[in-house]
Amino acid sequence: MKQLVTILLLFISFLGFGQSVSAPDSKSFLQSTTAQDASGFILSGFSSTATLLASISLVEFPTGTTFVLNTTTGLTAASGFTLSGNKTRLVITGTMTSINTALASLKINTGSVVGNVKLSVAATINPTGFYYNGVNGHFYKPVTAGTTYTGARAASLLTTFKGQTGYLVTITSASENAFIFANVPQANIWFAATDEVVDGRWVIDAGPEKGTVMKTSNGQTAGNIVGVYNNWAGGEPNGYNHSEDYAVTNWNGQSTWNDLSNNWSNPYIIEYGTWTNPDDATFTEFYTNSVSHSNGEVLTAKFNFDFGSNVDETKFSTKANRYVNNLWSTTTNTSRAISGLGKVDITNDLDTAKVSGGGTKASTTSGQIEWCVIYNYDVTNQRYRIGIDSREVSGILSDPSTISNLQLFDLWNGPVTFNSYDPNGWTEVYVYTQTQFNFSGSSFASNIRSGNGFYGLQAEFTFSPIQSYKQHGIDIIANSQTELNTLYSSIVTVTDVYLAFKELANGGLFGNESGNEFTSGIQFMNADVDGNRLFNEADTYKLLQYLTGVQPLTQYPALTYLMKLHSKSDYDAITKSNWKTQFIATRSLFPFSLNTGALNNTYNVNVTWVGDVNLSHSAQQSVSGVTTNSVRSMSVKTNSVSNEVNALIMGEIIGNKVIVTLSLDPLQQEVVGTQFQLNYDNTALKFEKVEFITKGSPTNFGTNRGSSIMLGSLITDGSTTLDKTTEYKIIFTPLNGINSMLGLTSISNTEAVNKNGIQLKVKIN
Amino acid sequence: MKIIKIVAFFLIVLSFSCTKMDIEPLPLPTTQKIFSVSESKVTDGQDIYFDLPSSGVYILAFIDIETGQVISREKFNGKSGENIKKIYTKSIISKYLYLTLSSEDNAQISKTKLTLN
Repeated sequence: MKQLVTILLLFISFLGFGQSVSAPDSKSFLQSTTAQDASGFILSGFSSTATLLASISLVEFPTGTTFVLNTTTGLTAASGFTLSGNKTRLVITGTMTSINTALASLKINTGSVVGNVKLSVAATINPTGFYYNGVNGHFYKPVTAGTTYTGARAASLLTTFKGQTGYLVTITSASENAFIFANVPQANIWFAATDEVVDGRWVIDAGPEKGTVMKTSNGQTAGNIVGVYNNWAGGEPNGYNHSEDYAVTNWNGQSTWNDLSNNWSNPYIIEYGTWTNPDDATFTEFYTNSVSHSNGEVLTAKFNFDFGSNVDETKFSTKANRYVNNLWSTTTNTSRAISGLGKVDITNDLDTAKVSGGGTKASTTSGQIEWCVIYNYDVTNQRYRIGIDSREVSGILSDPSTISNLQLFDLWNGPVTFNSYDPNGWTEVYVYTQTQFNFSGSSFASNIRSGNGFYGLQAEFTFSPIQSYKQHGIDIIANSQTELNTLYSSIVTVTDVYLAFKELANGGLFGNESGNEFTSGIQFMNADVDGNRLFNEADTYKLLQYLTGVQPLTQYPALTYLMKLHSKSDYDAITKSNWKTQFIATRSLFPFSLNTGALNNTYNVNVTWVGDVNLSHSAQQSVSGVTTNSVRSMSVKTNSVSNEVNALIMGEIIGNKVIVTLSLDPLQQEVVGTQFQLNYDNTALKFEKVEFITKGSPTNFGTNRGSSIMLGSLITDGSTTLDKTTEYKIIFTPLNGINSMLGLTSISNTEAVNKNGIQLKVKIN
Repeated sequence: MKIIKIVAFFLIVLSFSCTKMDIEPLPLPTTQKIFSVSESKVTDGQDIYFDLPSSGVYILAFIDIETGQVISREKFNGKSGENIKKIYTKSIISKYLYLTLSSEDNAQISKTKLTLN
């Protein structure tokens, strides 16, 4: 039995699970234009035979905005609404199919005022015995069985509907009064208004407005409170015999009100919903969705930067740039911070002035001669080949190849690809489209002749330069050069260097076994630190020089020499075989185009770094077959490595020296590289040297960076390992006499790498 | 002239009375034993006072509270009774540390929390 109940419940929940309202993507409407397409709302998951109740509303809109449904077949307007005409709100009933058909014909009419146009659609199965008021978004349930006022008031509160507790209906507006009068045919219906406390002082007696004083004296209009709705019959309320304390509407079948005593047995209405705006409704099983369009060209540019998981994006900000006269310059001085999620919106910084240079648009007007031919649709290539008689072009358009846009009556208005120009024949372009032209439905059918394998168009052509937005760029700025230096120190570390050596060594004698260590083309790109599109010994040498402090990896430590920016799609397309042909240079300015045809533009940009061979601080590629490198480099943020080795730090004043000893305990790891950053107080200590106690012949390094020593060892070929005897003694001379040294030196970033190129966490004991 | 002086006096009094008082944690009293309190605010070069049970080799260490890593350690010869040592903070990146006192064989004797100024 239990199982049966469970299955039943699952089935019931399943039935309700798929019902939804989906909304279209945002778009921008033209100002002061009627009948612009606003389709895209779709109801789904409802029973095809069920009658649904749907509400379409403009939630936010500039003055002058309305909508209209061009197709209303099978629909019924809810009480108080009509199907035809321009509206800001419409409530309808019908099947899912008929409502979807209507929503597909949804058009927006705009005025001259620019602003957001938020459209909302809500739907539910039209409940039997309830009426929906689209003005306030409340449901009303008439109860025809007669009862006293106090009985009706109490009984209403015991009911719930779609998650809302009921209350005796309140009437707070003329439209609500008209709604009730139109939908509930009974006379003398109790509603929540009483003067039972003070005779003649009528107050709303239920719902969200409970306690609101409606009037202070009996009499049709006497004592009516301004701004509070009253609709009493002539001479009412009269408080007859001091016992008529309760209100009814539809008095004697009219739409006005009267006061009656509690011993009347009248029908009543239960109201559900406490909000004043239908879009705030919280009914259960009441499905809603909305979209924010805009009226007028509100061009947006939003960025999602993917820095990978070990970089704090908030350490960077951006500035918008545009490219004019072969120079980049900032559009404004405004600097926009990148959020912790890598997001930044530079919409307000765009230079939206258009310039010529986007090609030429060819447009038709009705003519007498067939200057244009459209060949039959090429199904294979999904395109039309279109010829314009070159006599229409010659002498008018200096360069026909600039034709990039074409308007052919109402058949097509959009981009084209130039094909060829024959001054004595045709100027040909291609229209790529998956939807074939509607020749028979064209309003210009009289100008179109169907030939054998082509259509001839009686049309004249005009040509106009296409205005386009300037090339834009977003410039990333490090908020602090010091922090950038610290970050970059943690990006290129001993693991990167060892991994580069390992990949190079395993490339084989002829290099044809390359790619055994690197799993991604991005690694090759980053390991090619000299940027010559070749990863070779010169690069590993430079990496080693950098690690050992002999020379910096890049010409300057500025961001533009360190960072690499790629669109996410470009980044994902970089492979081990094609990386050499991709854009591989460093840059901190990412160019982007606003001429996308869309007004709402979002750009996804991936970040990586020169020298980040193990991609510890880089975006991951989202392509199959590229495995995530498990290594993580030193970082100010939390690392997630599981492999660990130990090291011990001990400081001591011996004679006139401060000596800090770092001892390695590799535990079970085959350690081939170590790296430690020992910070020191350079106002109190002078660095002397590092003494290395290491077995084999590793490359040992100890570089003074002014206030820190970068030290460690690297066995580039992995032929031997660093064992428990590995020790580093860092020797300082105090600048003044001291008898304590705690805190004069401190260890911060540490790292080790094992024979397999896996980064190891160093636990300092 | 006298009126000007009176006005100036009141202005000075008024300006002091309107100055916001910042309530800062009190620095460690100069002779307060560092391990006798659970938490202290310290500055670079500050003397710390602590008692040792006997003369011998001891170890002071800074441990980063966030990472649990030892970041600085000093081995020293201590004397029985009160000892005075300086601690330095300029090389330290972290703000919150534990200060531990251990014997030469690394057995912890005392521990307290430090906030670097």
